[in-house]
Amino acid sequence: MMGYLVAILTFVSLAVLLGLALNIQWGQAGMINFGLAGFYGIGAYTAAILAKHGVDGFTATAAAIAVTAAFSAGVSLATLRLREDYLAITTLAFSEAVRLVLMNEVWLTGGTDGIRDIPRPLVGVIGGEHYEVAFLVACLALIAIVYGLLERIVSAPFGRALRAVRDDDVVAATLGKDVLALRVKAFAVGGAVIGLAGALHAFYFTYIDPGEFAGFVTVYAFMSVIVGGKGSNRGLMAGAVTVMILLEGTRFLKDVVPVLSAQQVASLRLMLIGVGLIAMLIYRPQGLSSEYRLSARQPAGAEPGS
Amino acid sequence: MAQALLNGLVSGFLIALPAIALSLTYGILNFANFSIGAMITAGAYLAYFANATLGAPILVAAPLAAIGLGLIAVGVEHGVYRRIRNADHITLLVASMGVAFVLENAIRFAYGADVRALDVAVARPLAWHGLRLNHEQLVIALAALSAMAIVAVVLTRTRLGRAMRAIADDADLAEVRGIARARTVDWTWALSGALAALAGVLIALDGIVEPLIGTNYLVSVFAAAVIGGIGNPFGAVAGALIIGLVEEVSALAVSTTYRQGVSFIVLILVLLLRPQGLFGVARIRR
Repeated sequence: MMGYLVAILTFVSLAVLLGLALNIQWGQAGMINFGLAGFYGIGAYTAAILAKHGVDGFTATAAAIAVTAAFSAGVSLATLRLREDYLAITTLAFSEAVRLVLMNEVWLTGGTDGIRDIPRPLVGVIGGEHYEVAFLVACLALIAIVYGLLERIVSAPFGRALRAVRDDDVVAATLGKDVLALRVKAFAVGGAVIGLAGALHAFYFTYIDPGEFAGFVTVYAFMSVIVGGKGSNRGLMAGAVTVMILLEGTRFLKDVVPVLSAQQVASLRLMLIGVGLIAMLIYRPQGLSSEYRLSARQPAGAEPGS
Repeated sequence: MAQALLNGLVSGFLIALPAIALSLTYGILNFANFSIGAMITAGAYLAYFANATLGAPILVAAPLAAIGLGLIAVGVEHGVYRRIRNADHITLLVASMGVAFVLENAIRFAYGADVRALDVAVARPLAWHGLRLNHEQLVIALAALSAMAIVAVVLTRTRLGRAMRAIADDADLAEVRGIARARTVDWTWALSGALAALAGVLIALDGIVEPLIGTNYLVSVFAAAVIGGIGNPFGAVAGALIIGLVEEVSALAVSTTYRQGVSFIVLILVLLLRPQGLFGVARIRR
């Protein structure tokens, strides 16, 4: 039971990190990332490949962060002058391209077999027995650091400028903000956090394969952000935990409805997540808690964001 | 090389159908429908249900699938998109991703991940001056061309088509002029669903039925629509032919597993160099 709890909390930690990343990209900067799973994969594979080649875990993690941030900046550059739809299309297509590389470049990624026995950092010092707990503590500490950094960014002038760009880029540009640079930076910062999460994923599971970096990861992250309230980092934590409780809680469906096969229960759970996401968008688009805003209330009848 | 061009042309016809569907809904509703891949898959499974489970011949199963998916698309419009019409278009994008997720997993729930095949006879390929044309390819080309002709007639010659184009140009103005927006939107979804279903059936005809057949075409379809100037159904056809040809010809140099990767590169190049598409009007706003 203790082991199960530690495992669940570690999953939740990874989900929180991904949610925090998406929250700065989408929540704060209004840049939609449908290819989150692909960036996550880049982070995980970078860390795993380096660690397999004898690079120590901390350097490998730093490299994963840097590489994922660089890819994020590059992909966002392609569409920055265009409408948000194009970033959505490009990131999704990028994620598909990443998946193809992961599956086909066997010399680098091991293909569909994946990479196994990824060496964990500091395993000699901590020992195998308490490693899972120590790993969870490290994850929580990293979340605290990332959260603190992101909160600082959000409340700094940079964060205000980002929200200004999100709400109306023409006004922001008129006020002398460098819209392009702001957007690339926001996407790269989010990418760095995704890279960190990817590296943690690789070290936690010690085995990765391309199937783990498919669309459902992206859907979970969006669900976390939507449930938590777009733009609010504190809400996001609650959102990620809620989504994980939903996911894990419905795992027991198969005991309740024994006629269904394991495969059917899995599909049903994912369907519920999708339905939940749509229902949130329809009935509570602001999420459980909404972003703290200084602005005066919009006059009745005005449509925000149009 | 000639064989690659022929194959590319046929695969272009195939991609054209969902690309038109995507452009129609984009033009009228102003958001990119990310569930188009899942819709293709759903079309294939509807046909599989009618064909293999109920035993209907494929000529009956295909129209049934088209009608079925058209109805589902209208249902989704009423159940989801219409309710968040007033939100920004990013919300609609995310919602369409949610719809894709639900559709895909509903299919997995009903049919699992097993690979299936439609119940159709296999015929010998036609040969002509050293070029081979599979029976399936011929069917794809003919069916896709007829569907495109029908769409072209609907768009240019009917009241519905005029209403659709008017709403795409300026929805408010169209409504002021007495065009029933809600009904036109419904018909657009029905048409879009029918096209996606037909594409699904044709893909299944040429290969297998499995839960990812539509998703595997998603990048190609979007690339085609963007090349054609997203929102422009006629441009989408040209974009689809370009994508089909580029994918098949590039397969001579790089492994066929990278077909979608090639589409991704083309997509990036178009977005960097000519974001309004090759045939689009330069009215793209941020």
